[in-house]
Amino acid sequence: MIPAAFDYARPTTVDEALQVIADGGDDVKILAGGQSLIPVMRLRLAAPELLVDLTRVEELRGVREEGHQLVVGAMTTHADVLADPLLARYAPLLVQATGTVADRQVRRRGTFGGALAHADPAGDLPAVALALDAEFVIAGPGGRRTVAAADFFLDYLTTALVDGEILVGIALPKLAADDGWGVRYEKFNRVAQAWSIVAVAAAVRREGGRITEARIGLTNMGPTPLRASATEAALVGVDVSLETVTAAAAQAAAGTSPSNDLNAQADYRQHLAQVLTRRAVTAAAGL
Amino acid sequence: MDELAVTLGMDPLELRKKNWINAEEFPFTTVAGLEYDSGDYGQATQQALELLGYDELRAEQQRRRESGDPVQLGIGFSTFTEMCGLAPSRVLGSLAFGAGGWESASIRMLPTGKVEVVTGSTPHGQGHETAWSQIAADSLGVPFEDVEVLHGDTAISSRGLDTYGSRSLVVGGAAVVKAAEKVVQKARKIAAHLLEASEDDLEFAGGTFSVTGTPGASIGIQEVALAIFAAHDYPEGIEPSIDAEATFDPENFSFPHGTHICAMEIDTETGFARIRKYACVDDIGTIVNPMIVEGQVHGGLAQGISQAMFEEAIYDAEGNLTTGSFVDYLLPTAADLPHFDTGNTVHAATSNPLGAKGVGEAGCIASTPAVVNAALDAVRHLGVTDLLMPLTPERVWRAIHHGGDGGDRDPGLSNAQGVTSGAAATAAATGGDDQ
Repeated sequence: MIPAAFDYARPTTVDEALQVIADGGDDVKILAGGQSLIPVMRLRLAAPELLVDLTRVEELRGVREEGHQLVVGAMTTHADVLADPLLARYAPLLVQATGTVADRQVRRRGTFGGALAHADPAGDLPAVALALDAEFVIAGPGGRRTVAAADFFLDYLTTALVDGEILVGIALPKLAADDGWGVRYEKFNRVAQAWSIVAVAAAVRREGGRITEARIGLTNMGPTPLRASATEAALVGVDVSLETVTAAAAQAAAGTSPSNDLNAQADYRQHLAQVLTRRAVTAAAGL
Repeated sequence: MDELAVTLGMDPLELRKKNWINAEEFPFTTVAGLEYDSGDYGQATQQALELLGYDELRAEQQRRRESGDPVQLGIGFSTFTEMCGLAPSRVLGSLAFGAGGWESASIRMLPTGKVEVVTGSTPHGQGHETAWSQIAADSLGVPFEDVEVLHGDTAISSRGLDTYGSRSLVVGGAAVVKAAEKVVQKARKIAAHLLEASEDDLEFAGGTFSVTGTPGASIGIQEVALAIFAAHDYPEGIEPSIDAEATFDPENFSFPHGTHICAMEIDTETGFARIRKYACVDDIGTIVNPMIVEGQVHGGLAQGISQAMFEEAIYDAEGNLTTGSFVDYLLPTAADLPHFDTGNTVHAATSNPLGAKGVGEAGCIASTPAVVNAALDAVRHLGVTDLLMPLTPERVWRAIHHGGDGGDRDPGLSNAQGVTSGAAATAAATGGDDQ
């Protein structure tokens, strides 16, 4: 349970971090909150030569408003997400999901950007980012680029980030209750600290008795987070009722290929996705 | 028992009542020759029903069934009696057991007035230090804070057996009582000598020897300890010490009993089981420390509930343990357990001077069947007649919707994030950028 020896760098700016990474050879790991990387290193399943710790890069922390978006610094901790007034107002789905992440100690150290860059399909936040159509701001040796959530999660624990790059921020649209948005993160796990067997992140916008926009992300229904596109399409424009929501939710698992594993068989996961989608949308739509 | 009741078309409690030993039948000798000394199963059961709010929950269960509520409610019982206080050494001998069942204690009365109690029963978190101090303080009439309990090092405590089988208080605690009685007997002789009175005229109460009918003529046991340490003035023919050692060998086992009732909600759409309410009443004889007793019951309940609902060692076809860490081998925390409504009835054991019966295992014995019985009661009307432990949501869901007992879990690697399970961790090490 003791990691192999490694070199350690703790830059204080993004530019300095990029330089350290560029100079660090081909076995560099970036350390954010360390809630996944450190356990893996302790088991010696990872043994990087250089660890670049971003905890002192202040510019990567905090939430700011930029026009019609909120930009969350990648090193903003889960605890900071839970306490942020801008997110409470404009991104309650993220706040709700973050509140279900692990336990208080993990939420104190773990970061939003770290969880997204790690891209565990059982993690709660990738599906939220995908549902919200977040934009990922990435810094690299050649400058900055922005990647849409739909293009960020490539495979199991694999993202669009390439060697030498750092995820610096996540831009989220403002979805306020004043504009008719309702949200719900419906998580299914066996004990409070366990990973999601399946979870559903739902945000719907209501105007009168109809849903005008629906965004539904699925956690752990495949190697990457997924959108329940068929359900989203079925919800838009119909009169909201338990019947219409149930009918739409029945398509939640369409096109998914969840794994068979210790925690659940694929058919059970697909069943759960339908039930949890119905519940999430029902709650988000205020039924 | 609940299955038998269903088969017979009887109420599960009626079936138990019909078969258990009635209060007036104690002491009761079983066909196997054991003598159950005391108890009242009916009283404990009645009290547990009241703690649970049984009638109300049964009515709610009925309503949920009639309305076809996706969340069904079940109530499960476990009435149990246990054989504790291990053990009468002669009985162990007759079973060719390799050791005796006695326990030892010694009491050292220091000249400072402090009291050292050496116990052969070594605690690992059961609170012996507190309970043994209470027993010594009560028996000797000295302040609780003047007692120190020593244990665990054979250089200090050379004679002793174990802490197991809910025996420590019943056998080891009784040894402390016996040692204290000897201390008082020895001190009585010294006190009589110092007070120039007959031993028969001495009363011992609250740590003080007083001469009957002579106000003011008294001496405390802690003063006696100092006087005998100086040994300037003590009776002829006795040794100058009031320290004592005792070995207690019980003549019978103790027989704690209890009634545990679990009310369980089952979400029939997902199979998720949630304990709605848990009530239990244990008769563990005389209670020395109520807080320790409650702690022991809570810990036992958590363990027994965990067996019923969470813990499972799963091996793959090659014999590898695939639930080898606490990410995959689930344990509940406080967040996953209900409030416990606990109670006691008190029918003192007759086989030891404390009247204690033992409580270490009560919770883990009774809770597992109560929980599984409750889950079955919630879904039996849906055609489920058996459920494998632990009650994973998938198992319960499959039993409801596909019949059977829920089946074995896939031993394949868990999908838990990186930390432990091989495939995930390797992927994390090689592919994932853990920013």
